[in-house]
Amino acid sequence: MQALDKALAQVGRVVLGKQEQLKLALACMLAGGHLLIEDLPGMGKTTLAHALARVFRLDYRRVQFTSDMLPADILGVSVFDPDSGAFNLREGPVFSQLLLADEINRATPKTQGALLEAMEERQVTLDGLTRPLPEPFFVVATQNPVTQAGTFVLPESQLDRFLMRISLGYPAPEVEMELLAGGDLRDAVRRLKPVIEPSGLVKLVAHVGKVRATRDLLDYVQRLLEATRADDRLVAGLSPRAGLGLLRAARAWALIHDRDYVLPEDVQAVWPSVAEHRLQPREGGSVAAMTQSLLQTVPVVRG
Amino acid sequence: MARIYQVPSHARLWLTLAIIAASLPQLSDGPWWQAVLLVVVLGWRALLDRQRLAQPGRLVRLGLLLATVGATFYSFGRLHGPEAGSALITSLFALKYLELVGKRDAYVLIVLGYFVCATILLFHRGPLAALYVVGCLTLLTASLAGINYSDTHARRRQHLTVASAMLLQALPLAVVLFVLVPRVAPLWNMQLDSGQARTGMSDSMSPGQVSRLTESSELAFRVQFQGTPPPPDQRYWRGLTYAYFDGTTWRQARPPGWSDADTFYDGRGPAPPWYRGLRAADRGPAWEYRVIMEPSQQRWLYALAVPFTDLDGQGLARDLRLVADNPVSGSYGYQVRSVPAAAEGLDLNGPERRLMLDLPDTGNRRARDLAASWRQRYRDDRELVQAALRYFREQPFHYTLEPPRLSGDTVDGFLFNTRRGFCEHYASSFTFLMRAAGIPARVVAGYQGGEPNGDYLQIRQYDAHAWTEVWLNGRWVRVDPTGAVAPERIELGLRGLVEGRADAGGDAVAGALGRLPVLFRVQQWMDYVDFNWQKWVLGYRQEDQRALIERLLGAFTPTRVALALLGAVLLVTAVLAVLVLARRRDAPARPLEREFARLRRGLARRGLNVADCHSAAALEAAAARRWPGAAGRAGHWRRYFEYLAYRRDGDPPAGELRQLRRRRRALMAGLKA
Amino acid sequence: MVKNAWQRWLDRRLPRARQVQLDQRRIFILPTGYGVLYLIVAVLLFFGGVNYENNLILALCFLMVSLFVVAILHTFRNLSGLMLRAGGGRSGFVGGQGSLEVVLIARRRPHRALWLRWLDQAAQEVSVESGEETGLWLNLPLRRRGPVVPPRLRVESRYPLGLLRAWSLVALDQECLAWPRPQESADCPAEGGDRERRVARAGQSGSEEFRGLRGYVPGDSLSQVDWKGYARGRGLNVKLFEEPASGRLWLRYDRTDELPLEQRLSILCYWVLRLSRENRPFALALPGAELPPGQGDEQRQRALDLLARHGKGG
Repeated sequence: MQALDKALAQVGRVVLGKQEQLKLALACMLAGGHLLIEDLPGMGKTTLAHALARVFRLDYRRVQFTSDMLPADILGVSVFDPDSGAFNLREGPVFSQLLLADEINRATPKTQGALLEAMEERQVTLDGLTRPLPEPFFVVATQNPVTQAGTFVLPESQLDRFLMRISLGYPAPEVEMELLAGGDLRDAVRRLKPVIEPSGLVKLVAHVGKVRATRDLLDYVQRLLEATRADDRLVAGLSPRAGLGLLRAARAWALIHDRDYVLPEDVQAVWPSVAEHRLQPREGGSVAAMTQSLLQTVPVVRG
Repeated sequence: MARIYQVPSHARLWLTLAIIAASLPQLSDGPWWQAVLLVVVLGWRALLDRQRLAQPGRLVRLGLLLATVGATFYSFGRLHGPEAGSALITSLFALKYLELVGKRDAYVLIVLGYFVCATILLFHRGPLAALYVVGCLTLLTASLAGINYSDTHARRRQHLTVASAMLLQALPLAVVLFVLVPRVAPLWNMQLDSGQARTGMSDSMSPGQVSRLTESSELAFRVQFQGTPPPPDQRYWRGLTYAYFDGTTWRQARPPGWSDADTFYDGRGPAPPWYRGLRAADRGPAWEYRVIMEPSQQRWLYALAVPFTDLDGQGLARDLRLVADNPVSGSYGYQVRSVPAAAEGLDLNGPERRLMLDLPDTGNRRARDLAASWRQRYRDDRELVQAALRYFREQPFHYTLEPPRLSGDTVDGFLFNTRRGFCEHYASSFTFLMRAAGIPARVVAGYQGGEPNGDYLQIRQYDAHAWTEVWLNGRWVRVDPTGAVAPERIELGLRGLVEGRADAGGDAVAGALGRLPVLFRVQQWMDYVDFNWQKWVLGYRQEDQRALIERLLGAFTPTRVALALLGAVLLVTAVLAVLVLARRRDAPARPLEREFARLRRGLARRGLNVADCHSAAALEAAAARRWPGAAGRAGHWRRYFEYLAYRRDGDPPAGELRQLRRRRRALMAGLKA
Repeated sequence: MVKNAWQRWLDRRLPRARQVQLDQRRIFILPTGYGVLYLIVAVLLFFGGVNYENNLILALCFLMVSLFVVAILHTFRNLSGLMLRAGGGRSGFVGGQGSLEVVLIARRRPHRALWLRWLDQAAQEVSVESGEETGLWLNLPLRRRGPVVPPRLRVESRYPLGLLRAWSLVALDQECLAWPRPQESADCPAEGGDRERRVARAGQSGSEEFRGLRGYVPGDSLSQVDWKGYARGRGLNVKLFEEPASGRLWLRYDRTDELPLEQRLSILCYWVLRLSRENRPFALALPGAELPPGQGDEQRQRALDLLARHGKGG
């Protein structure tokens, strides 16, 4: 799909050398899911989110989470109107099309919970008033690695609400050179041209659901899910909801690659980012290695 | 009464049916009060299940038990023995049903049920009875399956299906065990005295009193010959000889002062001289055949003249007949070798010769005179016999099944007045005449003829016959005066005779024989089934087992039998295990999956091992790396595979599969080059 | 000794795993009492058949024996292929019961009338039809605080005929927690709370209920002005809070009396439960572990789990 390629090229201008992660982020958006980026500060998380918002011309807000932040700072507040003698809702930053929740793990569990609930339900309820969130609605949350001090770990049940978790990591040396030579990226982001309108994005998201997944493919997805459940190294296997997410992400990936059907490679491509944050090792060890090994043991075609 | 009824409701139907089915035969055989008992128990149980009636208390149950035992004793006069025992077990079975509360009771009830099934087989042995018992077993097994599956979602049908399937699976192994498990000799003797008098021979013969023998078409025995059977006029099945005549009745007798050993040898102890003599004369042609007797409740067996057997379960009497060790109460089979010429091995001297010439001192004057006149005219015994036969042939004697009654001097009355009678009259008077003429003679009773059915002969009660044996030239010679009067009786058998006559005048016997050809055919067919049932199932004995194993394994030794048994059981069990435990895959591989696997195997054969976590594209890449020349064809295959597997739903049609196969072959062929 | 050897043998042969599929290596099979009775009847029939020279009774006996052999296969099959997976766990207090979920999966064939029990507990019956999954919660007595690993699970079946008992001893890799048994104590082993509530400044702990904003009235504490909102041009407003029933409480292990470890944990447990019941926020500090402040069910759960695991290495 040309428009998507163009969008990727646009974002690629400001997030250098991270083609794969960009595609994943894009797939996550197309799949209608929320994205969690786990990285040390300064790796370009904000740039990525901002750039995505630019190319889709999305109403973009950024919230820096801090430990003294209240749910109201995200969702909005009731303001007392002395004239009418009633409370009015004043919308918080969550009422945007793309919300960048920076360092979400710095907020208290309560505040995190408020955001995640809104993400899940795509609406906000305050003092009995329910307001739907705009369409489309994406959350890109960033998180510092958990070892950092002064953080509140996102509980596992909440992690499930992010369709994907990716991390950008350090740039390759030559890319870094380019980066150093290139000057201020913030200007570059502002110069990005919108490629797809929000309404087009909504259509694309709807289209993802129509990408064909045949029985042979569903069999493969099922075998992967089953394998996580049978794996002794993991605390628990993937839930059926995670399975649906995996399939949806694979469909979006196929769409990005201009196909209207899903191949096993699509599943394999999105697998780590969909599965890893949902699985917990029992006795330490790298979840990444475990999910990877599952890919290497589950037969693609039974026989 | 707060005990929970633990037998699930879906199992109860089978349990009730099993109880009724297993009890029914006993109800028809046993005393009337058993039926009453069963009805009472079933009714009580039904009310109990609807909670209209309380579970009977201990006293009531004890009372019922005592009443049952008492009634059994009253009806049979004892509590042991098969009849009383069966009645008792069946009644206890019904009573136990009343007590049924928990699973334990159900188990005990069902195990008792297996026992009751066995009692049915004590008294009913036909193929239908066996089928019926298998039906009862199915019901009992279904009940077992039901009580072991307490899930309320279970359905009744399910239990019956499980039970039938398991019994079917058990059948082959049961057949193997039946054929190969060594038969042990009875540990102690048991006799069924079912007390039912059967039609058949009696141990005495009084010509003049109308015998009803001939009106019965009941089966007496069957014979299967090894080789061609003898012609009808040679088929004289000897059963009894009558040596003593008191003026009206012929009876069995042995010379005064003789012991058992002089007249009978059953294989135990040293053989007496007369038996050795017979054995010594065992030469010339012989008939070999197998006889399967219907129960007669008598000890005598039937065979052609000079029958030799293995003397296992039967013995040979000096008057050349076979005698069973025990009365034949069930169907009984024995193998015989009859050697006509062996008759020469006997002698006739002293008291025995006197017995064979013995007549009452007085009576039947005219017959004695007739015999005396023949004696004067013919010096040679043989000529005298011929003359006597000629007399019967030429005088106006009639063969009839309804002769007038005789009294007083019955021989004279028959020979000179009525001249109407059947075999007994002829044999009796002929023997009398012979003895009066000084020729040792005796009456032989048995059967004559036999109707072929399949590869065997049926001998029915209406084939019963009596004839004479006279001592000529140092041996017993059969003479049948009836043949002189009604040769067709011998040639065609009674049935042929009666049919012939019925056309002319009609005869009461005709009805008894069944005139409808279709019905007759069905009867014959059923008898054929019955015969094979008797022969292979009921009559399958040690000898048959021995013969079978000898044929299969060459020799009958304990090791071979044990090995054969073990081997067959293991084999059947293994086949069964494979059937029952067959690991079905999650789902059979679909055509595309098979095609994929074939390519993987093909590549592996050419040295490229690809893990099964590889997708089609990964497979293509690996093949292209290894054989760069084949990259194009590999891509060709991969694209088509992906098209079939991932772009379209449903299994691909045959044509497209062929296309994929062609592409795979093209790829493989490219690798070879 | 024997018991230990048996356990060691079992552990080698059937090691703990999250998921276990029953196969011939794991299934044991023996006749039940009724099976023996059945065989005795068959033997009696054999002698009866021999003595009455009745081949049909012999045939009945052989059919019964064959049925028994077929029943061995069927009973075995009823367990064979059954997949057991460790499911969830529900923790409980020492002296009470926890429960663990065992998920039974019937892949190829139905598995009926299965009895499941921990070696020393009452059994539960369950059936799984082909292609289905069923979860079964099995209670487990909690005798000592900490993670409780269940004994081996005995999976038994007599289906279809009850003549044989097939069983397997499965060790599923799962556990639940035994929380300390709450012990009442009058003194709350806490610091913070009411006495120090004044110190807690608005918007810092997150434990106060934010109610809304109202216009600034001269005289309001400047520390309560919504400066962020002011900076964004929303006017000068004051944040309104609803005072929670109490301030934040730190339940501290070192505040409990000098008692044995278990008792001190029991007292903490009592207070965790009580504060949760009163819906008051609290935090928990144990030597080497801390639970940040919070309230509600999740907080209660975390606090109890922390107490259960204290000193149990994980």
